[in-house]
Amino acid sequence: MKFAVKAFPLAVLALASCSPDGPPELRLSDAWARETVSGQTATAAYLTIENRGESADRLVAVTAPAPARASLHMTRRDQGIARMRPIEGGLEIPPGETVTLEPGGAHIMVQGLAEPLRSGETLRLTLRFTRTGERALAVPVQTAGATGPARNGH
Amino acid sequence: MRQIRIALWVVVAIALVGLAILMTRALADRSTISERIGAATFGGPFTLTGADGQPFSSSKLAGKPHAVFFGFTHCPDVCPTTLARLVRLREQLGEDEQPFEILFISVDPERDGPAEVRKYSELFDSPVIGLTGSPAQIDQVKRQFGIYSQKVPDGSGGYSVDHTASVLLFDGQGDFVATLSPEEQDRVALDKLRRITA
Repeated sequence: MKFAVKAFPLAVLALASCSPDGPPELRLSDAWARETVSGQTATAAYLTIENRGESADRLVAVTAPAPARASLHMTRRDQGIARMRPIEGGLEIPPGETVTLEPGGAHIMVQGLAEPLRSGETLRLTLRFTRTGERALAVPVQTAGATGPARNGH
Repeated sequence: MRQIRIALWVVVAIALVGLAILMTRALADRSTISERIGAATFGGPFTLTGADGQPFSSSKLAGKPHAVFFGFTHCPDVCPTTLARLVRLREQLGEDEQPFEILFISVDPERDGPAEVRKYSELFDSPVIGLTGSPAQIDQVKRQFGIYSQKVPDGSGGYSVDHTASVLLFDGQGDFVATLSPEEQDRVALDKLRRITA
């Protein structure tokens, strides 16, 4: 009986790892946001999302500290015209792939900032995925001239 | 057979001569393209409102090469990215102190007054001339510079603005020379910038 009790969780794990439809495994990294000046109420946050799991997940919502609001947007350029649109239905993170939110592409738009974001501060966001659920993200704020997250040592 | 061969050689000779003529004309044309385009399309004198709230006349740019970008301060991604890139490219040129002016002209005059463009210009750690104006003045300048913009409601009472996001480059005579687009590598952008700062 004892053996069966001990063996049971191992058996479940063994079965789970043999399953072709394992869960998504998300790794969030390289987050950064751009600083703002007083009176500028919107900015963008970017990050890299890697899915090391076996099934897709979808980023469907982002929340920011009140009174600010966050939402997913995509910048598109056609014939020199830049258009920013909400990403309808969220952003899919396929299994085995890495999705990067970066300038000129997909980004988290943070609006309604009550105070300027200063370089060196941390913006705390919560990302909601359909399968993984909510993940907290600490986003370092960079200077306006930044083109990516800070490298180690900066 | 021999006649066919001669005929073919004549065709080759004609093709080579034609090619030589086209190439010579293309090379000769290059030096006049910017004048022709400048006269036909972008630029011209304008008056807007400066970041200090005072009228800003384009005559202040006489003799100064300049890069012009149209955007709006509520723009979270394209606008700061483009202006930061222009500042960075200007640093890479570095031959003399300020080889070209960077102008930021708002396509959202309803929200972007002089104070807004002034503060936004100060984000970049390097001189950026922020300009706004009345909706009529902005419309006029957009027409002169061939710029498209369109308000797009965002569903929660606010709006974004679709807009031409290319950077227009003008030489010291105020003639349009080239555009920069973000898809280009820095090397290509720097070559174009040197054409206005040389």
